Amino acid sequence: MKINKLYSVLSLLVLLSLVLAACAPATATATEAPAAMTEEPVATAAPTEVATEVPHTDRHGGWLDEIDYSVVASDSAISQVQAGAIDAYTYGIPSNQLDAIKSSGLGYQSYFGTAYSILMNPAPLKDTTKLNPFSDRKIREALNWLIDRNYVNQEIYGGGSLPKLFALATQLVDYTGVVDTARILEAKYAYNLDKAKQVISEEMTSMGATLGADGKWEFSGRPVTLIFLIRSDGDGTRKPMGDYVSNQLEAVGFTVDRQYKKSTEAAPIWQASDPTEGQWHMYTAGWGAAGLTRDEKNQFEQMYAPNSQQGVQPWLSNTAIDPELQKISDDLAQANFTTLEQRHDLMAKALELSLQDSLQVWVIDTKLYVVNKPNVLLTNDVGAGVESSPMNPFNMRYTDKEGGQLKIGTNDLFTQAWNTVGGSNYIWDVALMKNTAMGSDFAAAGGTVGDPFTGLAWNQRLASAEVTVQSGLPVTKSSDWVTLKTADTITVPADTWIDWDAKAQKFITVGEKYPNGLTAKVKSVVVYPSDLFTTVKWHDGSPISVADFIIPTIMLYDRAKPDSAIYDESAVPYTKLVQGYYKGFRITSTNPLTIENYSDLYYNDAELDVTTNWPNSAYGLAGENGWDLFAISNLAEAGGELAYSLDKSDANQVEETNWIGGPSLEILSKYLDQASSETYIPYAPTLEKYITADEANLRYANLKKWYSAHGHYWLGTGPYYLDKVFTTEKTAVLKGNPDFPDLSDRYAGFSTPKYADVQLDGPGQVKIGGEGTFDVTVTFNEQPYPQADVKQVKYLLYDATGALIASGEAQAVEDGHYQVTLTADITSKLQAGSNRLEVVVVPIPIAIPTFTSSDFVVVP
Amino acid sequence: MTAEVVPTLEIKPAARKWRDSTLFRVAQYTAVRLVTLFFTMMIATYLTILIANMGGYVDTIMRNDIRERVTQNVISTSGNKNLDPDARKQLIESLIAQEEQRIGLNTPFAIRSVRYLSNALTLNLGRAINMTSDSGSKNIRLIILERLPPTLLLMGTSQLFLFFSSVFFALILSRNYGNIWDKLVIALSPTSAAPPWFYGIFLILIFAAIFKVLPFGGMVDAPPPDNIFDYSMNVLKHLILPASSLILSSIFLSIYNWRTFFLIYSSEDYVDMARAKGLRPRDVERKYILRPTLPNIITNFALLIITLWTGAIITETVFLWPGLGRTFYRAIGLYDTPVIVGLTIIYAYLLAITVFLLDFVYALVDPRVKVGSGR
Repeated sequence: MKINKLYSVLSLLVLLSLVLAACAPATATATEAPAAMTEEPVATAAPTEVATEVPHTDRHGGWLDEIDYSVVASDSAISQVQAGAIDAYTYGIPSNQLDAIKSSGLGYQSYFGTAYSILMNPAPLKDTTKLNPFSDRKIREALNWLIDRNYVNQEIYGGGSLPKLFALATQLVDYTGVVDTARILEAKYAYNLDKAKQVISEEMTSMGATLGADGKWEFSGRPVTLIFLIRSDGDGTRKPMGDYVSNQLEAVGFTVDRQYKKSTEAAPIWQASDPTEGQWHMYTAGWGAAGLTRDEKNQFEQMYAPNSQQGVQPWLSNTAIDPELQKISDDLAQANFTTLEQRHDLMAKALELSLQDSLQVWVIDTKLYVVNKPNVLLTNDVGAGVESSPMNPFNMRYTDKEGGQLKIGTNDLFTQAWNTVGGSNYIWDVALMKNTAMGSDFAAAGGTVGDPFTGLAWNQRLASAEVTVQSGLPVTKSSDWVTLKTADTITVPADTWIDWDAKAQKFITVGEKYPNGLTAKVKSVVVYPSDLFTTVKWHDGSPISVADFIIPTIMLYDRAKPDSAIYDESAVPYTKLVQGYYKGFRITSTNPLTIENYSDLYYNDAELDVTTNWPNSAYGLAGENGWDLFAISNLAEAGGELAYSLDKSDANQVEETNWIGGPSLEILSKYLDQASSETYIPYAPTLEKYITADEANLRYANLKKWYSAHGHYWLGTGPYYLDKVFTTEKTAVLKGNPDFPDLSDRYAGFSTPKYADVQLDGPGQVKIGGEGTFDVTVTFNEQPYPQADVKQVKYLLYDATGALIASGEAQAVEDGHYQVTLTADITSKLQAGSNRLEVVVVPIPIAIPTFTSSDFVVVP
Repeated sequence: MTAEVVPTLEIKPAARKWRDSTLFRVAQYTAVRLVTLFFTMMIATYLTILIANMGGYVDTIMRNDIRERVTQNVISTSGNKNLDPDARKQLIESLIAQEEQRIGLNTPFAIRSVRYLSNALTLNLGRAINMTSDSGSKNIRLIILERLPPTLLLMGTSQLFLFFSSVFFALILSRNYGNIWDKLVIALSPTSAAPPWFYGIFLILIFAAIFKVLPFGGMVDAPPPDNIFDYSMNVLKHLILPASSLILSSIFLSIYNWRTFFLIYSSEDYVDMARAKGLRPRDVERKYILRPTLPNIITNFALLIITLWTGAIITETVFLWPGLGRTFYRAIGLYDTPVIVGLTIIYAYLLAITVFLLDFVYALVDPRVKVGSGR
């Protein structure tokens, strides 16, 4: 009997423990309204890595002997790095795990993730007995005061993200350019529940609504109910954010119908329903980050204007935008400005007007985190993360040794077939591909390499680069490796290749297509070093050749021509788009290789206007491609057995060309045998001038050897080569490329972002009408930040009410030391009480500025 | 009115004899059973198609999903940043139109649903809409075949172990009803209220994070060992935690179930009679308890074998095990109807074949059962 009781008690205990475990309170829920209005300083995530001395090395290529990629669940990523199962997890971990990351003792870095906003339906409703409060612009604007973004950041995002008010990425390049306007507006629209209540009350009353005895707004005798579509999927943070905003709306008298939905459930309602039917009023929108972009002038048109590229959706196409905001957003998007000052003024005005319009109220710029063992160094792109960082393949290493095997975990691998025409563009696949390439991105094509801290580009393989822009275009340069010139007219030479004759397999020249001549806005001339063809080799040992530089452009045109053997209908829109601005290229010399490019598309930074024709994807995908690989892949597509694009493979019911696995490999091998036996030269009428039979034989022989050794066809010229791929196991092995032309330490200077560490010291008390001097100390790794590396040290002075009283530039004293002097004129404008001085340091080596502030007392 | 003489069908003795024969009875039963199963399967498959497509509403979801995805892609591609807004808008519209055509949204759902059904019934699995196999192929056969071995390994190991050990221990407990082990199993059987992934998380925490003796997940180390023996050992090492979590979450309840089942049969009158006759306990167990329970055991075993096909969705996800469960889950999330239908139809065929064969197996193992005698 006693034993039975014991078992009963045991059973109950087991049951109880299960129930308790299931009922444990969830962490980080935040739906309660904040108790008080507090403004917390915006935290700039500081890197945890300490810059290490980079030893001189004779090693070529990457620092590591081997990199093993595998798939790891992000939930267990921190534990796995701690336990030593992996050395780094390079996919972004949400900022609500920042506390866990910090307490783990691991190294970590951050980058920009999704930006979240509250999107509103601005349409008046068909049913006139119902009221849509958000058809009133001032109520939309009032939501800025209603939402405490700092609270959201602290409670939902672990304090690791950035409160956001504008369509521009907070603290990135364009934001920093208009920082004084931004700070004024941030102060103006800081959390203020009373003000929100007052504005909403006035506007609701003027719209005919009344406040009921229960404190709820009513219209036509019924409560004003807001249908709020709250996303419950994704990273899970939109649900608490939506709940918080709902609480705030309920606090000012609205009735909120919270509808928790997945993306696929919400999209048909907010995207496709007629906004005048009022099926929704608000939606927790998320906008993907574009990485470290230096140019966000399109953002206002995209996010607010009915002629936006998103404007085809009813909610946006029906919005009644303020005409001034419409004009300014158009001017910005269409680059209707001739100087950078004009651009600055337009941006500043757009910031102000967009907050007044508030079609969407921005809430947060999320930050994502990558973690690694303390002795591992990863080069993070501060805008886009390690996996998108162009420098990471060159700098990734152990800080305490040269070489070694690094195990990296990521979110997924091999999500789609790999080819550089229509293959995978998933970030985890791209991260792996980047290791095998010299450089691959639109803004940093091979031959140049992207700066992970500024978004600019650096010379990698060019002997010289020259950019000529049409006079009046606001293009500047920041580096010496590129020469910038202007010309009133840039005429495209008649022998420039501008189009393709698929039947004749020859380029069409500008002279043939435009007998009356053609002009362009930008001309780029690059000269490669004379030893290019002996120093740069594909991973299979074949030297790079001129044909490799030509074939990507042929492919771009050829696939869009109905006469082509590899015609792909899905390629037409993109090719047409490129041909809309691209004015062709010509090779003026093959020794040294010299290429001229002409275009109407330009960037404000001359470094990004350099076009290299490096043999990487013409479609903006990662990876490189030699002519031999295209030759066999084209034969397979022409033979109806493979297709580069998903669309064509679906239409023809064939496999998508995959250079790393699946049924494609056998088919490609068959065509490799055929090409080899025939000494096949692709696009022979054009390329036989550049490819000899000997080169063709060597290429095909090397490719065969490569395939038999590694079991795939993924080749590149980068610092690592893809040794083995295990698609089902989701694992890949990369090995160092000893034939890479550059030493491993070439980009060591870009290992660690040079965030400025800023301290502001000054008098605790200043008299009205007196003078006060504040010292600004700017350091990096406890060393003074050189003046030459500081673009600007700006100060902003706020009075006791938070209004901006003055702004200006701090005076440089010496390296790392600046002074802000508040003159008698300035202090006479202050009021007695606690005032604040804020300093913004804008370094040149990194696009992210540092903010710091100091409170001081003003006495009469 | 004239009386109408109803002609009577005169059955010749030979025909009557043939109709009464066992062969005819079995053949008729087989035909009726096959036709019934086929129609059941067809209805089930079509219902799956309708449910997977929410009666066609998924088209609306997919159209909006495509629009959002394409727009976001174009906006966030840095190469498109400086393009003329009209050019960008045109590009978006062309890409949306292409994607809709590729997926087949231009064909009415009713027509597509019939196509899905006929392809499924003829086992023409076709191509996935959004999913790809691990090697990048959209061929559903490859998608399934790639994931089948890991699933069979995980589910086979755990479920077969679970089945045989449960039956084995249940028999022992039924012989020793009321002893300490019996009571312990009863006490522990509520632990099966927790799902396998619940145990999985604890096992990972203990053996991977704290003791660091077993891997966190995956099927093999990165990089996988080169030779087959090391590879196999490595896979086994990765199998321990997921298989243990599946076993742990069910073992006590399963033993309890079987033990109760055997106890019920042990208390039948004919068993008491056998014992009273003085038969040896072993003979009583084999001939009087196990024999009549055999159809149930076989049914359970046969159904277990086909459920191996379904995988373990969440456990596979927790352990990143590349099995069919995750494939199925992903297909549902992506509204990839051809993949959902492909996985379902194979399960339906396996189930139908099993149910069909079981009728004959019952007749073989239990002399009381006669195929087709129920007509």
